[in-house]
Amino acid sequence: MTTTPTEASPAAAPATSTASPLTRVLGALSAVGVVLVGWLGLVASPPDVVQQDSVRLIYVHVPAVTWMYVAVFLCAFASFMWLRKRTDGWDVLAASAAEIATILTGLGLVTGAVWGRPTWGVYWVWDARLTSTAILFVLLLGYQALRRYPAEPQARSRMAAVLGLLLVPNAAIVHYSVDWWRGLHQDATVSKIDVSIEGLMLFTLAVSFIVMGVVCAWLLVHRFRVGWLERRAERHHLDAALADRRADADPSAGVAVGGPR
Amino acid sequence: MLTSTVLAMTHAGYVAAGWIATVGLLGGYAAATIRKGRRLSQVVPPEERRWT
Repeated sequence: MTTTPTEASPAAAPATSTASPLTRVLGALSAVGVVLVGWLGLVASPPDVVQQDSVRLIYVHVPAVTWMYVAVFLCAFASFMWLRKRTDGWDVLAASAAEIATILTGLGLVTGAVWGRPTWGVYWVWDARLTSTAILFVLLLGYQALRRYPAEPQARSRMAAVLGLLLVPNAAIVHYSVDWWRGLHQDATVSKIDVSIEGLMLFTLAVSFIVMGVVCAWLLVHRFRVGWLERRAERHHLDAALADRRADADPSAGVAVGGPR
Repeated sequence: MLTSTVLAMTHAGYVAAGWIATVGLLGGYAAATIRKGRRLSQVVPPEERRWT
């Protein structure tokens, strides 16, 4: 990470990034983990008897979708906490988790479609699991649009928090859709006691779950800090604008605060 | 070695597309987030960056 020394304290220069010792550790673990999962998923693990090599897509699809649920629930929890506490931290956490959930949902849809073509013969079918996931993705895109809508910050955060809470029922429908409706998508593979994969394939899937979790944690910390910086930058921008307006209103103060115009 | 291993697979194109999409999307998002953080860190005073 790059650092820029300041004139005041060149020896203890603050880092000009969102990195910290924690993110450096998570980043290093992520890099090593991605290489390990790549080797396990593409080289070491065997092809499936039925799915053949397309089973290797499961090692990216299933972890992405699983961590999508976690990100959605984290967004809903942070939204709930913001409605109670009204502090910047919960709001930024909700926005960060929602952004990561959007990425993971999109990834789940893309990798699912790419897996579906060789396995089912089609990229897309209006199956309950796929359709409910697509609806969740649209809701998350709506959430992102709402976060960027130029409105009064408190009102925008309140609307986003309500939408964040509404993501949970949809995520539950996505999860239970394979039990509630008969469709093309298979039932849960590993969330049962009697798992239907074993050996090196199960090990690879377990490692890919962990690595995707570490990557998501690393992304979440960085995204949270970016959100925090955005709030602070907006506040500084507003303070500077107010100081300018005061200087304009009082020319004598303008010379002292903002300089002559 | 990895390229030849992937090319030898059944459904090689689908496997490659899925993995490239995953690494590309997550890597691109990570790079964009870090770049944005660096840009904003230049604007916000260090005392308001609690992690530094």
